[in-house]
Amino acid sequence: MADHIQYNLEERYEFTPKLRKQLLMVIGIGLLLLVAGAVFLALDTGGGHHGGGEHHGGGHHEGGGGGEEHGYNWMTRIWANFWLNGIFFTEIAVMGVLFLAIQYLAKAGWSASFLRIPTAFGNFLPFTGGVLLIVFLFANHDLFHWTHSSLYDKAGEEYDSIIANKAPFFFWPFESGSFPVFWLARFVLYFVLWYWLYTLIKKQHLAEDNIENRLNVKHYDKATVYSAIFIVIFAVTSSTSAWDWVMSIDTHWFSTMFGWYMFASGWVSGLAVITLAVIYLKEQGYLKMVNENHLHDLGKFMFAFSIFWTYIWFSQFLLIYYANMAEETIYFYERLYGYDGIYSPMLVLNLIINFVFPFLFLMTRDAKRKAIFLKVAAWGILIGHYLDFFVMIMPGTVKENGGFFLVEIGTLLMFIGGFVLVFANTLSKYGLIPKNHPMLEESLHHSI
Amino acid sequence: MADSKLIEKHKYMVGIYDHEEKIIKAVKEVQKQGVKVHEVYSPHPIHHIDTYIGHPRTRIPIAAFLFGATGMLLAIWMISYMLAVDWPMIIGGKNFLPIPTMVPVTFEATVLISALGMVTTFFIANNMGPGKKEAMFDRRTTDNRYALIVDLDKNVAKSSEEIKVVLESLGAEANPKIIER
Amino acid sequence: MQVTSHVREPLVTNGKTMHDITQDICRQVEAKPTLAWLVAFAISVATLLIGSVALASTWWYGIGVWGLNKTIGWAWDITNFVWWVGIGHAGTLISAILLLFRQKWRTSINRAAEAMTIFAVLCAGSFILMHMGRPWLAHWALPLPNTYGSLWVNFNSPLVWDVFAISTYLTVSVVFWYVGLIPDLATIRDRAKITLEENPLLPTDTAEERKAKKAKRRPISAFMYGLLSFGWEGGAKVWARYEYVALILAGLSTPLVLSVHTIVSFDFATSVIPGWHTTIFPPYFVAGAIFSGFAMVLTLMLITRVVFKLEDYITIEHIEVMNKVIILTGSIVGIAYITEFFVAWYSGVEYESYAFINRAFGPYWWAYAAMMTCNVISPQLFWFRTIRRSLVWTFVLSIVVNIGMWFERFVIIVTSLHRDYLPSSWAMFYPTIYDVGDYVFSFGLFFTLFFLFAKFLPVINMAEVKTVLNSTDEKAKKDAEQRIREEQKQTETETVG
Repeated sequence: MADHIQYNLEERYEFTPKLRKQLLMVIGIGLLLLVAGAVFLALDTGGGHHGGGEHHGGGHHEGGGGGEEHGYNWMTRIWANFWLNGIFFTEIAVMGVLFLAIQYLAKAGWSASFLRIPTAFGNFLPFTGGVLLIVFLFANHDLFHWTHSSLYDKAGEEYDSIIANKAPFFFWPFESGSFPVFWLARFVLYFVLWYWLYTLIKKQHLAEDNIENRLNVKHYDKATVYSAIFIVIFAVTSSTSAWDWVMSIDTHWFSTMFGWYMFASGWVSGLAVITLAVIYLKEQGYLKMVNENHLHDLGKFMFAFSIFWTYIWFSQFLLIYYANMAEETIYFYERLYGYDGIYSPMLVLNLIINFVFPFLFLMTRDAKRKAIFLKVAAWGILIGHYLDFFVMIMPGTVKENGGFFLVEIGTLLMFIGGFVLVFANTLSKYGLIPKNHPMLEESLHHSI
Repeated sequence: MADSKLIEKHKYMVGIYDHEEKIIKAVKEVQKQGVKVHEVYSPHPIHHIDTYIGHPRTRIPIAAFLFGATGMLLAIWMISYMLAVDWPMIIGGKNFLPIPTMVPVTFEATVLISALGMVTTFFIANNMGPGKKEAMFDRRTTDNRYALIVDLDKNVAKSSEEIKVVLESLGAEANPKIIER
Repeated sequence: MQVTSHVREPLVTNGKTMHDITQDICRQVEAKPTLAWLVAFAISVATLLIGSVALASTWWYGIGVWGLNKTIGWAWDITNFVWWVGIGHAGTLISAILLLFRQKWRTSINRAAEAMTIFAVLCAGSFILMHMGRPWLAHWALPLPNTYGSLWVNFNSPLVWDVFAISTYLTVSVVFWYVGLIPDLATIRDRAKITLEENPLLPTDTAEERKAKKAKRRPISAFMYGLLSFGWEGGAKVWARYEYVALILAGLSTPLVLSVHTIVSFDFATSVIPGWHTTIFPPYFVAGAIFSGFAMVLTLMLITRVVFKLEDYITIEHIEVMNKVIILTGSIVGIAYITEFFVAWYSGVEYESYAFINRAFGPYWWAYAAMMTCNVISPQLFWFRTIRRSLVWTFVLSIVVNIGMWFERFVIIVTSLHRDYLPSSWAMFYPTIYDVGDYVFSFGLFFTLFFLFAKFLPVINMAEVKTVLNSTDEKAKKDAEQRIREEQKQTETETVG
């Protein structure tokens, strides 16, 4: 209907010093809270005494999910939080790239006008990759039970035949229990491949701005090819990275669904962040061409994939619940009843925020077309999926010492600040509208 | 006659157009000139034309939701009654009423009742059903023509001659017919 | 105004108008059956009859005539059931999920795909009835009080979930399909009624005139399609409701179609049999179902477009897009195979590891190899554009995929069962003539129904193709290019000026 409205296709996002300052403050506050929380924890558990190898009798559970053998100290909780946020934000960043790639492969028209937003997500990958790598190098014994070499010593009393059987997955070609070469090589490979393909797609996507003749679709075609390569690689690596980074925390446990489950959780979170970014930019006066029709589609995406996540979650849960085999059930048993039940409210809350809430809240057409509703829904979904990752990672790492307080809030704030900082900085580097994108016209006339 | 009011006949002018864009323009333009469009008949759905004519938004989604909720409650009641009340049995070491195993049937019942209820509502609302007779203004509107119907008895401000000129000026076939029903 | 990007290939070619669409699709409904149709239909009915003999024997003697044994209690019957249900996923996928994704290319194929879905689900249902052995007691699967008391069906059983899922799926698919048919049935009705109105039988007619008029009149069509079209008029208010109904049905069918194969996968995955109990089963079965369904749609559409001369509506572009879906779903299935294999090793559960090693290298290695080749490797050929756009390759590969998907179910069911926990119970499965005959029956049923559909109902959704015609024909592409050229010329003159 808005046939003849002229939009400013040359507009650029301006990263104001004020916003930069605010973001740095968010990171600073996060750091303060983290330090305060750390002090709090250190005092609480007796001054940061490192108890590696010390045996704790208390808090022993059914022996499935991970090692009780190695003592907990307050640093573990901080490392675990960095690991959790690192994973969560890696997922969000890579889902931005995936969104871009899918739009190319599916020849999507509606989204062209705001494609630069998910395009800016991928730049956060090097940061999370770096953080995760550092955390792993310093704290692998705290987070990953399988890194303890005593598990692989046949003569030792801690020998674990099940984990020893898995050793090649972590240590190949080195000896079991030594340096996890294979695991680390995969870790590096994921980030290198994702980031490299991201830059390839982005380069073509941005190069389009400078073409002389808009009928020339050279860059569009090339970006499509790179998108296909990315998707093929991501299809495999999204699952394997989930096994590596999260499933192996509960070293004994296994679930074939796990990779797709983590993907589903990350994908909804990514969609929620895209929606939020679009809405906030619109509120600041950018992206005039993105109207309630585009928002409606983003809302549909969040609605549909919230249900998809529930489907995956439920299928995994039902099968484990129904067959009730000890080696599988331990995972949910630990989360529902283990560690004095500290994780069970989160598990239940997780289902409510991630399924019941978006399902009822985003069901009507009007809700999906109003920015305020979408904002509430997207924030809800993000909180919910943060919780989802929390419940995936925390029980296996910090066990009965988990909780949600200063350390958690502090780390989360630091990552939020960092993500927005990198995102806004990247976004300000190029035009906000892909003005020569062959689908742009369809997006400008999008009406549903 | 006592029931003459019930069977009171109206006169309708039928403007026939041959392109989607023409009829959209015609509807907007005709309304702008103060003539109320009664209805538009087309061989395929035309996006947003119901809002241009001024039809109220359909409430079909509400029906679908209510039927779905009914189906869900019915299924929950059925399973609970049969498994936990009428003949409780321990199966596979689970509770009498394991919530996870209720989900599949509850979901299917929700979808089934919602879909059937909504489609039935759709048929009733449109007065459609097996063997119902259609009242077509022009049979070509299921092939490749679009019909713009003006209720002449409700547009008394303009004469039928004036309305005819308006319709023709917007690309209607010459001499639109008038049908009384 | 619908705007189309210039990078989109036209979906309706050769400058077809709306009236051409009506003519081309209604032609085979209105004309006498062609020889090709009669031959094909006769073959299908013959197949059905031959299969019926096997079916009658199965019911008469009981399912002991199958090659099942104590160890392998499920084999061809459930393989065929899952195979047909899987094929029955494409129709709803195309009409529901692609509707939600606003894929315009679906309009030319959704009708036939939905019909195929319904027939495939009926074939699947026939295996359930066969498998019951005593089909006259089929109502025992429903939640009715038992004759001997009020013992109800067991709602904890995935087989009961199946009853609900498949009957719901069948019902909703039929409803969805029929609602979509109504406007097209009205088109056929109106064309028939026009022949009556244009050729009224008057008392003043001479015998000659009457004969000529009668040749043109189609009163039976007018009556039948009038009955079936439910009094459809096509007013804007009804269309608006209709679009909402279609959208909500799509929204309901999307989780429904996922739930159906999910629940079929639960039949296996809730058990504790190695190779069956794996959490990835639900989404992986759904992906496999869509994969095989698309392959079957391709097989049928490639035949239909030639027999009914619909090349302008089912273009190479349509085929290419469907082949892309085949690569996608085939690769998802491939990843699931590898995931299962990896986790069988990673889990450290020796039964699980054995089940997978036995699948690949045991006595049924050939079935496993067939499954891998047909499902994972062969679709990768579609990465080549020329193969994707080749009719011959597509036709061959679409059949190959369905062979592979049959083997997948066979591998899952038989290789997991034939090695019992007790080695003394280890066995092999050999199908009997009745296993084969019952499978033949389902093919007969499927093709008989499909040919009846193709003759008496419009195989392409005319109303929907007309909806997207203006934005998907060749003119739309040319207009888009023209617009860009003009805009660029304008900016050039502006900068020069």
